Amino acid sequence: MKPNLLAIAMFLLFALVTLGITWWAARRTRNASDFYAAGGGITGLQNGLAIAGDYMSAASFLGIAGLVFSTGFDGLIYSIGFLVGWPLIMFLLAERLRNLGRYTFADAVSIRLQAGPVRTLSACGTLVVVAFYLIAQMVGAGKLIEVLFGLDYSVAVVVVGALMIVYVSLGGMIATTWVQLIKAVLLLGGASVMALLVLRLSGFDFGELVQRAVETHPKGLAILRPGPLVADPVSAVSLGMALMFGTAGLPHILMRFFTVPNAIEARRSVLYATIFIGYFYALIFIIGLGAILTLTGNPGYVDAAGALRGGTNMAAIHLAHVLGGDVFLGFISAVAFATILAVVSGLTLSGASAISHDLYASLFRAGRPNPQAELRVSRLATVALGVIAMLLGIAFEQQNVAYMVGLAFAIAASVNFPILFLSMYWRGLTTRGATLGGALGLLSAITLMVLGPTVWVDVLGHTSAVFPYKHPALFSMSLAFLGIWGFSVTDRSAAAERERAAFRAVFVRAQTGLGADGAASH
Amino acid sequence: MQHLYKLIHANPRFHELERKRSRLSWTLAVIVLANAFWYIGATAFYPEAGFARFWGEPVGEGQALTWGIVIGLIQTVLFIGMVVYYISRANGDLDALKDAVIADALRAAGEQK
Repeated sequence: MKPNLLAIAMFLLFALVTLGITWWAARRTRNASDFYAAGGGITGLQNGLAIAGDYMSAASFLGIAGLVFSTGFDGLIYSIGFLVGWPLIMFLLAERLRNLGRYTFADAVSIRLQAGPVRTLSACGTLVVVAFYLIAQMVGAGKLIEVLFGLDYSVAVVVVGALMIVYVSLGGMIATTWVQLIKAVLLLGGASVMALLVLRLSGFDFGELVQRAVETHPKGLAILRPGPLVADPVSAVSLGMALMFGTAGLPHILMRFFTVPNAIEARRSVLYATIFIGYFYALIFIIGLGAILTLTGNPGYVDAAGALRGGTNMAAIHLAHVLGGDVFLGFISAVAFATILAVVSGLTLSGASAISHDLYASLFRAGRPNPQAELRVSRLATVALGVIAMLLGIAFEQQNVAYMVGLAFAIAASVNFPILFLSMYWRGLTTRGATLGGALGLLSAITLMVLGPTVWVDVLGHTSAVFPYKHPALFSMSLAFLGIWGFSVTDRSAAAERERAAFRAVFVRAQTGLGADGAASH
Repeated sequence: MQHLYKLIHANPRFHELERKRSRLSWTLAVIVLANAFWYIGATAFYPEAGFARFWGEPVGEGQALTWGIVIGLIQTVLFIGMVVYYISRANGDLDALKDAVIADALRAAGEQK
């Protein structure tokens, strides 16, 4: 594919606008509250859009469209898995989290537990999730940009990394929020136009669209039935759990709840996020069906064997070209690039906050940091994380990194989610239980993933896997809950008794919002 | 603040709030979870589970569109509807009760002074 000048122009425009916003945001980022939480001054609607922008990654947009193109129904199952976490966050977490926390989810967990061990574990959970997610995004970005813009892979990774460092280190949460917000609008707009153009192909009749997809697809009616995902039911359920509960444990998502001033706006954020994300996944399914209709057997886009040129992730991109020529292709390419930037910025900000707020300010400075020093540390951490992300992105160029997003969700579901959830709901949780059980979840998720078919066989080249299932969450999350429970109830120390007694105050605060950290700087 | 928490915790209306909220939250959460596990689980174990067979059925004579897809898309609408219902309750009677509980506690704290 030749480089698309229009795509480059549109991307440059996006970069220019977002850099302008960063310049504006940088002048408003004066203290830690601005940097981590945009001063708590984001509205529910803005935050809902930004959450959607943070969550709808290029992996979902391109990956699920590609999945629908190749297997049909499986793509819909994935979409539902990605969506289910949202109502759960609303019913069980959002407002309590807002009432208890300040900048990171570890704030909420460490209210009645010992900050040292709990923040260390939370920071580890955050950094590991961020690292895997970030590598997957960086490699995806490099490959995508290589194809779309004709840029060299390493140059592409460096461009993404550099822009992300500028946004986050200078503009903090304010700039990150606006980058995600703009990206969400662009992505939802672009996907809407694409879905409309697809529906036009079938006279705006969804049934007809499905009919024609079945007639066109080489697998025929099989695309309406569960496909390869079914081959291993345990893995499918395990994947479902990772997506559902992992969403409620993604540090960059949880962090967004501290950007709104109160519980009411937190609820509103989830409402809008759920609507936008649900709408987006419905569009993706239509887009995937459109790709089946237009790309199957089309020699410009698939090779002789029927595989998409540039890989299955290219389904949505090729479809854009079929539907709207170079102009629309350019637009969708620029949107995909913006999507990656928004997601990596959110991830980096959350990783930097874990370093500067959970580790530096709360541990090394015992919760009494010099605010300017904390701000400086968070900026340095951003730059360091950005550079590491670029290096890892380049190092993993030839690796299959698709499993890393799944692994990030599995770890979030096995470490962050259990300790956060139990700290809010279970009086009996103690520091020992949270720390050891959480660590058990972290180690088991990684170990089972490495020993499973995806890494042990596909990446490391062994003939058979030690652990038979592709997705570890079902086991690692159960182990985490079991470990947290076991290590908590057997904890007979005086400190543990105090922690249980302190639950009452936390519980009242979570329910009423009394004493919650308000919009600090307003 | 600890004193206020103690006062609130001693207020029976706080426990009414807590009971109502947790009944609402957990009922909705269980519905969502049951839905998702039913959908993903039953799909994964298809076709052994007899009722999953139903999803392969077309929605109408001569149609390719199946119930499985329709149900999948309807879930999105269902989830959004549940979120809207939760918000209406949380912003409505639950927040009113919450404000009353806080007001009670502040009044009681004032009287003690």
